[in-house]
Amino acid sequence: MNCSQFDWKGYFLGETSGMDRTGAEEHLKICPHCRQELDRLRSIRAMMETLPEEAPPRRIAFVSDKIFEPRGWARFWNSAPRLGFASASMLAAAILAHGWLMAPRPQTPPPDLAAVRAQLEAEVTRNMQAAIDKAVSDAVSRQARQAADLVAAAEQRMEERRRMDTIAFEEAFQVLQKRMNVYRASLGFGSAQ
Amino acid sequence: MILREVEDPDLIAGTKRGKVEAYNVLVSRWEKRVFNYLLRLVGDREDAMDLSQEVFLKAYLNLNRLQDASRFAPWLFRIAHNEAFSHLRRKRPETEWDPQAGETASQPRLEPIETALAVSAALSRLPDEQKEAVVLKIYQGFKFEEIAEILSCPVSTVKSRLYAALDSLKETLAPINARGVE
Repeated sequence: MNCSQFDWKGYFLGETSGMDRTGAEEHLKICPHCRQELDRLRSIRAMMETLPEEAPPRRIAFVSDKIFEPRGWARFWNSAPRLGFASASMLAAAILAHGWLMAPRPQTPPPDLAAVRAQLEAEVTRNMQAAIDKAVSDAVSRQARQAADLVAAAEQRMEERRRMDTIAFEEAFQVLQKRMNVYRASLGFGSAQ
Repeated sequence: MILREVEDPDLIAGTKRGKVEAYNVLVSRWEKRVFNYLLRLVGDREDAMDLSQEVFLKAYLNLNRLQDASRFAPWLFRIAHNEAFSHLRRKRPETEWDPQAGETASQPRLEPIETALAVSAALSRLPDEQKEAVVLKIYQGFKFEEIAEILSCPVSTVKSRLYAALDSLKETLAPINARGVE
């Protein structure tokens, strides 16, 4: 058998099986050239295996974070029973739709349009009158409130002015009394109380 | 009651139900592999660590898109691949290829043994795509089909990258091997 028929790299890498592998092993027994080729590959591998695996310098770990956690509906949607739920929901919806569409409808007489229109007009008129009455009533009570506020403010101002006049009169009287006492003292009389 | 080990699909299902602790267990199972894959591609521990965190965060946020929980590993490494190559593209202007680079600046910090240094240097000289194929096959043990899924390319492309890489590695490492350095 010709040496070039064998894929020694594939054999060396463990990617040959079945008849190919058996044929290759039979050939190796009689072909020193192919044995040498395979030995070279194996020695390369032995050298490569001297390069050790390294441990990561830090451990990788994730903490529970609400941002990354799937939401409730997403968790459910990704769960195994979702297809069962979906098909059951579709079946239930189909039964309900069929029941609603096929149910007999009660026969109702056609409505009297004139009566309906009269009823609507009466309703509109009634509502409009009520709205007008309410608006008038609101305006009247608002004006009464404003008038009462004005009267109260005027009375307060008059009271304040009266109080100020009284204070001014008392102060003027006291000044006059002091002057009278001074005059009396200069004439040799006792001071007035 | 028969106790069985909690498997990745169980942890994925738990995570999808909002259990962060389930995801942390999943991370602890895969972080070392993802970190080493990224480390061998980008060649810097801190960058590999940052990228690992990005990978696991993106995986967490997109876990609902994973249809088949048994395909978690290729799916996770697909995210890691995207992150690594985005990073390499960003860094490319400042890390223009330097034939001496593998022997000087970045490699000695990986392993102070001559063989390991030689392997590391030989890997660093490979084109990124070939290096990634080697890491995924030799160091991570993925099958051709899984690598094709991770890289989003045909199996034939995976094979050609890997075989070319093995030829380069043989050429680079054979003289060292012949000197009996191990």
